[in-house]
Amino acid sequence: MYIVLLLFILLFASSSPVDAGELSDSAYLAELIDKGLQAKLAGEREWHLLLHYKENLFGGHTSEQDDPGFFMSPDGKTNPQAELDATLKQFFSEELVGRSKQPAQCAFIARYHWLRERLQFDDSRLPRMACERFDRWFNDFEAQSITLIFPSAYLNNPASMFGHTFLRIDQKGQTEQTRILAYTINYAAYVPPDSGIAYPILGIFGGYSGYFSTYPYYLKVQEYRDFENRDIWEYRLNFTEHQVRRLLMHSWEFGNAAFDYFFFKENCSYHLLALLDYADPTLHLTDEFLLWTVPADTVRLVASKPGLVSGISYRPSRSNVIRRKRESLPASERELAHRITQDLGALTTPTFAQLSLPKQAFLLDLASDYLRYRTETTDSPPPEWKERNRAVLTARSQLRIPSEEFKVVPFAQQPELGHKTSRASLGSGWRNNDTFEEVTVRAGYHDLLDREVGYTPDAQIEIASLTLRHYNRANQTRIERATLANVLSLSPIDSVFHAPSWKLNIGMNTIKHNGCQLCSNGVMNGGVGVAAERHWLKREVFFAFMEGEANYSKAYEARHRIGGGGTVGLLADLSDRWKLMASGTYLRYALGDQSDDFRWFVGQRYTLSQNWALRLEYNHRDRDNDVVFSMQAFF
Amino acid sequence: MSKKVIMLSVAVLFGMQAGLAMAANPDTGPGCGLGKLAWADYSHQKNIAPQVMMATTNGTFGSGTFGISSGTSGCTNDGKVMAEQKTTLFAQLNFENLSQEMAQGQGEHLASLATLMGVPLEQHAAFFAMTQERYTSLVKTGETSPVAMVKAINDAIASHPVFARVSTR
Repeated sequence: MYIVLLLFILLFASSSPVDAGELSDSAYLAELIDKGLQAKLAGEREWHLLLHYKENLFGGHTSEQDDPGFFMSPDGKTNPQAELDATLKQFFSEELVGRSKQPAQCAFIARYHWLRERLQFDDSRLPRMACERFDRWFNDFEAQSITLIFPSAYLNNPASMFGHTFLRIDQKGQTEQTRILAYTINYAAYVPPDSGIAYPILGIFGGYSGYFSTYPYYLKVQEYRDFENRDIWEYRLNFTEHQVRRLLMHSWEFGNAAFDYFFFKENCSYHLLALLDYADPTLHLTDEFLLWTVPADTVRLVASKPGLVSGISYRPSRSNVIRRKRESLPASERELAHRITQDLGALTTPTFAQLSLPKQAFLLDLASDYLRYRTETTDSPPPEWKERNRAVLTARSQLRIPSEEFKVVPFAQQPELGHKTSRASLGSGWRNNDTFEEVTVRAGYHDLLDREVGYTPDAQIEIASLTLRHYNRANQTRIERATLANVLSLSPIDSVFHAPSWKLNIGMNTIKHNGCQLCSNGVMNGGVGVAAERHWLKREVFFAFMEGEANYSKAYEARHRIGGGGTVGLLADLSDRWKLMASGTYLRYALGDQSDDFRWFVGQRYTLSQNWALRLEYNHRDRDNDVVFSMQAFF
Repeated sequence: MSKKVIMLSVAVLFGMQAGLAMAANPDTGPGCGLGKLAWADYSHQKNIAPQVMMATTNGTFGSGTFGISSGTSGCTNDGKVMAEQKTTLFAQLNFENLSQEMAQGQGEHLASLATLMGVPLEQHAAFFAMTQERYTSLVKTGETSPVAMVKAINDAIASHPVFARVSTR
């Protein structure tokens, strides 16, 4: 008996047991592939969500992912069926695949779970592998729910101009006070240091790779609230435990691939939407974006799904905490808090000693906020600021009472209440002795006269705008204006905040010059300045810029002119719906066509609803008068 | 019986293949260098605080990227903080917020630290009062070493009557 058994083993060993094993594997594989084919699994939405297939123009499917590591079949990007078959085959193997170097069952754990359930894998014929790395990673989240996080726009960094979005994985037993301990799922481009001018170009055309990461939320809060002074909005999503698990399983699969990062479309927001779609396939979030994904639109879309958002919280930037705390104080105490930041002697004055303990604590807290704000937003801050902050905090610790909670009312309301990000206008008006009709389309995003709800105050970003105008008497239709980018940031200055204002405009317009009635004129203009805020009527912002400008047009001698000058202006809220802007500019051109330019602009906007507005604008430049009345729709 | 042998042989063979595959394909992922780049946005600002943060996150936290093979030097597994380092890393990375909140006798960073140290919710107020009282010495310790600060808080908890129960944890 023993000998027989030995012979048996030897026989099998010599006649290559692998063949036999592969034989049984391949038989089962063929069975599964056939079953999958019968069930038309490759055509199911779930499979398309897992592999990010979108229907292409020819009726087939193409995945939006480009990294070969995301696919098991060389044709996986364009062939859902081949990918499904190859995936099933790979599940039999322990070969390490993808960037994460795991067996396919673990690397693509969501695909495995779905196919296992749909095809009812026989675990004895297709053994289940242990996925310890995934289990450890998953368990460490202690996941209970998901929150969508939106740090608002930050104009001083081109990467953050439109805001950002990421997910927070809320932990079981987490409280309002401990949510900073939760992990996040964040997608960002890998941008080499010192990329400088290459950044916008490569960023727009997919020159960078994006990766997913899981930083603790406290690091993200520091980054946005403390260092960049951005408000953060948190949208708690109504997901079941099952949906949370699906989301994390699919996130894990994202760890296997690098994605081409496209600033306008396949950016942070877009990939998060893919994750949310997978968590709850009935949402259809990624179906709604064709050309670009702006983070604020993502938030608007998520908030518009009935029952998806169960709560919204606001986390103010440090600078807005300081502003609101200062506003809440009478002038004398505001002044006292400011004096503490400059001279600790203020703490021993009778004025300070007379105050109640909670009031003393409030002023010391404000002083500390301010010293930290200065330290963290200044190039190489003097060491005495940090020392003074320590001294303020030491004095504060001696008061022995906890600070009272201070509720900060946001300056900009939550983003989903704002207008949509693209705009179309129909207008009509007079220019000199002629009348005209015009149509304008602007891809994004917001200008100073647009309804400010939901947008960073006093910040303008116009991208890709085109105006076509038909002049009735001249019987001429022409491109009246085109804007590549027109960015402007006003930062009102007070005794605490002294950031400069700045602007940059690249585009073309139509001028009357040297006898040329309607001449195209290329413009590049940039400037720095100051702004101040008053509250005489409602809210007024005054500004002044020093600027340089270069023009290119056949209307000029030598076809160009370069010069400099200045602008002063005013932006005023006349009512909740009615806004006014007025500005005057003088420019003297010393190079090229030696000339000067004196311009006036008065514009008014009246809001009809969240996405509809009326405009009346008057432009004057050097014996050239232009009045246009328009109706604007945001979409 | 024979089936078992076959399975075993298959498993060994596949195991070997896996071993070979690992040897042939060293980790070509982005590795820990990415941690530094997460803060590249600040390079133009010459801002001291993010630089400090960059140094600490890069040294101890790694890139935060998951899906990279584990064991890359300086990285935690798949972007997560090792359990035993959670408290000290938190104290180190949030030192400025923690010292401010200790002086103020409340705040989310302080509450989170208390939670990480196992202080139950109903004793948070006592924990806040204790760190406020010892603000000067705790911050002095923390400035040289956050690890020492965590230890000092732990010692204070142990010797504090209210926390007697907690300290046995």
